[in-house]
Amino acid sequence: MKYKKILVCDDDQGILEMLELLLEEDGYQVVLEPNSVNALKTIERESPDLILLDIWMPMISGDQILRALRDNHKISSIPVLMYSASTDGKNIAESCGADSYISKPFDLTVLLEKIEELLKA
Amino acid sequence: MGKENHINTKKINVPLDLGVLYKVLDASVTGIVITDNLLPDNPIIYCNPAFEKISGYIRSEIIGHNCRFLQGKDRQQSERKIISTALGKGESCTVEIRNYTKKGKLFYNELYISPVKDESGQITHFIGIQNDVSSRRKSQQELELVQQETERKVEERTRMYRESQEYLSSIVETIRESLLVMDKDYKVLTANNHFLNTFKVSINETKGKLLYDLGNGQWNIPELKKLMEEILPTNNPVLDFEVKHDFPHIGKKLMLLNAHRIELEGRYKDWILLAIEDITDQRALQQRKDDFLSIASHELKTPLTTIVGYMQLMERMMPENASNKFKGIVEKTGKYVQRLNQLLSELLDVSRIQTGNITLHQEEFDFDKMVADAIESIRAATPSRKISLTGKIGRNFTGDESHLIQVISNLLSNAIKYSADNTPIEVQVSSISDFIKVSVTDRGMGISEDELSNIFDRFYRVGEVQKHYPGMGIGLYLCQQIITNHGGTIWAESQKNVGSTFNFTLPMH
Repeated sequence: MKYKKILVCDDDQGILEMLELLLEEDGYQVVLEPNSVNALKTIERESPDLILLDIWMPMISGDQILRALRDNHKISSIPVLMYSASTDGKNIAESCGADSYISKPFDLTVLLEKIEELLKA
Repeated sequence: MGKENHINTKKINVPLDLGVLYKVLDASVTGIVITDNLLPDNPIIYCNPAFEKISGYIRSEIIGHNCRFLQGKDRQQSERKIISTALGKGESCTVEIRNYTKKGKLFYNELYISPVKDESGQITHFIGIQNDVSSRRKSQQELELVQQETERKVEERTRMYRESQEYLSSIVETIRESLLVMDKDYKVLTANNHFLNTFKVSINETKGKLLYDLGNGQWNIPELKKLMEEILPTNNPVLDFEVKHDFPHIGKKLMLLNAHRIELEGRYKDWILLAIEDITDQRALQQRKDDFLSIASHELKTPLTTIVGYMQLMERMMPENASNKFKGIVEKTGKYVQRLNQLLSELLDVSRIQTGNITLHQEEFDFDKMVADAIESIRAATPSRKISLTGKIGRNFTGDESHLIQVISNLLSNAIKYSADNTPIEVQVSSISDFIKVSVTDRGMGISEDELSNIFDRFYRVGEVQKHYPGMGIGLYLCQQIITNHGGTIWAESQKNVGSTFNFTLPMH
């Protein structure tokens, strides 16, 4: 069950580090991608079991990445959990085909539950 | 009378029987007297019945008297001088003289006196023709009085009008709003300086023109036209009508229009006053403020997410043997970080509501379960408080579940905050007609009458509450916005030191 690989894509270094600590503490292998422009390449290279994806990022936004990901058959089936501080984040996540959504700031217990659920499926 | 049986032979030149002449004089409705100038004191030798009637004396009291008896004691009249001067020269004269009847009643006598001369030119008689012109004179005097009064009133009115004109024009010219007065055909009668300056037009380009022809037809908007056309017949004013237009000379502007029928003491009913306010800058400022609120709260959420995360990690990784003091510190920090998060969420919500960006989700959900869940989450956070729930709806409701949870949570946390720990809080749910009603009652400090009407205002906080409980005072404002957006109403009832009940209703679709 454990040692699954989770890729986190967020432009905010603070969140990346915090999530890295949390996820590693919980026994996951973590890959961080702070630059949304490189996200798709990194996903292809790392082929993670799950992606945590922020929506509002400079250059390329999370929903653009997700749409491109769903069109790429090599990685299209990877479950994606999106998150955002924006109130319409949930609508955006649903419309671009995210498997799950959580709003910032997140409750870590809820986040871990959602991650576990997606990995089980 | 003399020996001759004809009068003024030069003119009439027809011999006449004296008896006939007297009959003519007796029949006249004009008072006639004849005096004999050759006798001492020029006594009256003849008077006709009309004269008796005018004077109130009978013939026997008249004959032999000088005419002056008619003036009684009123001897200082200037008319007497006119008479004596004319008579002295042997000329006729007409005067209007004050005479008195036998009973002493004043009457105005229009008197024509004509001398009668013999062949040698000596004045032998005077003929006096008399008319009582009192009533004529009275009406004349009355007329004069009325005229004077009218003139005075006109003068007064003119002065008042001029003053109120000056008063009005000083207001009209001072006010920082553009004003147009139009007649019933929407033709501009006047425009104030602010209008001319704002739109950079001259009075000639404006006065006498039709409203819809002004500028490049900037006011020629069908919707506005329809509203304007209703002003005169229905007296329905145009209120806060926004016009966004690329105006000549001044460019793109947002104008706020208000128009009313002009009524001044029942006059000018067919005139329209149009007030135009340039709200371009005001609106832009509002927008910038909302943008700032939105960006600021959104940007603040990102570092807060990291802080919240680390706080939770601290709790999870707390060593078994950590001191209670340390555990307490971590717990308190966590609580206040949550509070900060809550405040930021509210700020974000306010800015969204202000810009009209709050989107209500319309989803069907179990209303009773929603209420129970909201109560349960509050109970979990404050297990020491007793919260009871009575009543149920028993059917689904279509609306924004998460926002309604927010409303109930907000009302509950207020009830907890503002009442003592050992007092109960009651939540009552009922369906009334086609409405859902929810009430949250506490036994707390209550809210005074005059503060009750303000509590739903943005950033309003009850005076003494401010001292004891931190917060921004937007919770109830948000509740109101959410309930209003659902087509419902929210209100509070309260009694100082007894408690408060917050109620809201929602229409079932």
